[in-house]
Amino acid sequence: MTDARPGRRLAATATATAALTALAVYGVFFVAPEDADQGIIQKIFYFHVAIAIGSLLAFLVACVYGIRYLRSRDERDDEVSSTAVGIGIGFAILVVITGSIWAKASWGTWWVWTDPRLVTFLIVLLLYAAYFVLRSSAEGERRMRYSAIYSIAAFASVPLSFYSVRVARSFVHPVVFTQNGANMPDSMLVWFAVSQLAVIGVFLTIMQVELLQRRADKALRRIKLRLEAAA
Amino acid sequence: MSTGAQYVVAVYGVVLFGLLMYVLVLGLRTARLAREAELLARLAEREDEARRAPEPAATP
Amino acid sequence: MSAGDPSWPRQMRALLLKDLRLELRTRDTAVAMVLFVVLAMLIFQFAVGSRGTDLTPYAGGILWATLSLTAVLGVGRSWVPERDQRVLDGILSAPVSRLVLLTSKAATIYAYLLAVEIVAVPLMALFFVRGSVAGDLGLIAVTCLLANLGIAVLGSLYACLALFARARELLLPVLFLPSLLPVVIAAAGAVNAVAGGTNDLAEYRGYSLFLAVYAVIFGLVAYATYDHVFDD
Repeated sequence: MTDARPGRRLAATATATAALTALAVYGVFFVAPEDADQGIIQKIFYFHVAIAIGSLLAFLVACVYGIRYLRSRDERDDEVSSTAVGIGIGFAILVVITGSIWAKASWGTWWVWTDPRLVTFLIVLLLYAAYFVLRSSAEGERRMRYSAIYSIAAFASVPLSFYSVRVARSFVHPVVFTQNGANMPDSMLVWFAVSQLAVIGVFLTIMQVELLQRRADKALRRIKLRLEAAA
Repeated sequence: MSTGAQYVVAVYGVVLFGLLMYVLVLGLRTARLAREAELLARLAEREDEARRAPEPAATP
Repeated sequence: MSAGDPSWPRQMRALLLKDLRLELRTRDTAVAMVLFVVLAMLIFQFAVGSRGTDLTPYAGGILWATLSLTAVLGVGRSWVPERDQRVLDGILSAPVSRLVLLTSKAATIYAYLLAVEIVAVPLMALFFVRGSVAGDLGLIAVTCLLANLGIAVLGSLYACLALFARARELLLPVLFLPSLLPVVIAAAGAVNAVAGGTNDLAEYRGYSLFLAVYAVIFGLVAYATYDHVFDD
């Protein structure tokens, strides 16, 4: 990585993300119509759901790179996988916090057990917190191998958790995406899509930053080893 | 501002806060990297000097 | 050595019998698990029910809360015979397929769970259900059989991941329980649907189907990853 390409890629991603974010915020607050039932509170929705999907995307990436690691045993796949989990957890924390604020705004309490998304993301947080506990319990090759296996198993747990909470049939949450397609008018849907793209952009940007940092760290460590050996 | 709007602002504020916290983490990490790089640079320079200057005689 | 090897049923039986015979001789794991589940039920009663409230609608939940915690114990114990590294190496170098080894561990966990449930389910009925449960025992048994599958598969896989960790007893619950939550939700829901006062068979079927799906999905995950669990 001694060329400028990663840096340039990061600049491109970050700029696009910044633009998308600005566009999304503008659109959500100044263009999208206010929801008839929920009023302005519904605007929370745009980023709350976008970040939720972003978090799941991050965990999917982690799972995919976990599978890749098991096939390739290449350390870089493990790097991507664990970085993605970290970002996923960060997003999941935001989902739970923003979801709690939404619950307070909509139902008057800071927590509800009847919202499948809120409960699922709490479970998801615990699931992936365990990922890091597992990681720190092992070293070297085993750490990477176990992390990869768990990233796959944990990702399988996510839809299972979501559906188990759903099946426990007692939610009040307004369903946004029904089987017949989104029951949101197009004027809202488009800004939802923009927000989602912005969040995906944030994910990609942070991924690149993190991976670059790790490479810098590793390069420094290599130098250190060399210098200490020569001393 | 209506209470509804306050909650909306709170949510976007939380997201912004989260991003800023991440910037903080990045900053701390960069500071550590810079420190280590500086230390290594000094170590390398010291090595260079030690190699250039003739070794002082062990016994007078 | 693939699982299609003609001797694999025999290998399974041999491994299973080894573990079961060891357990039957000492009985410590089964006894401890049964005691634990009773104590856990008592904890629930004292923590939640001592004001004379009718806990019937929560009986299924209490049952599966206590069973899931007990399952952690059982899973932690399932590798005890092999925990000494040399024994594990010995088994792996013998022509035993890793899949067979993992499956035998899952079967051991399943057996432990059944043993505990035989005690726990009647106790739940005794302690927490006002009214008769006799007619529903069959349905409850099916729930146990289904849920145990998921728990056993999950447990045998995660027990391997925790096997060599220093804080093994702490790592295993942290690893195991979050993935187990869907089973707790569904199994508790199923038992509550039949024993908790209302007799909602549609609900029961929904939850039972979920438990089956869970077992299949985790079975697939374990099947896809089992080879990588062991050091090469």
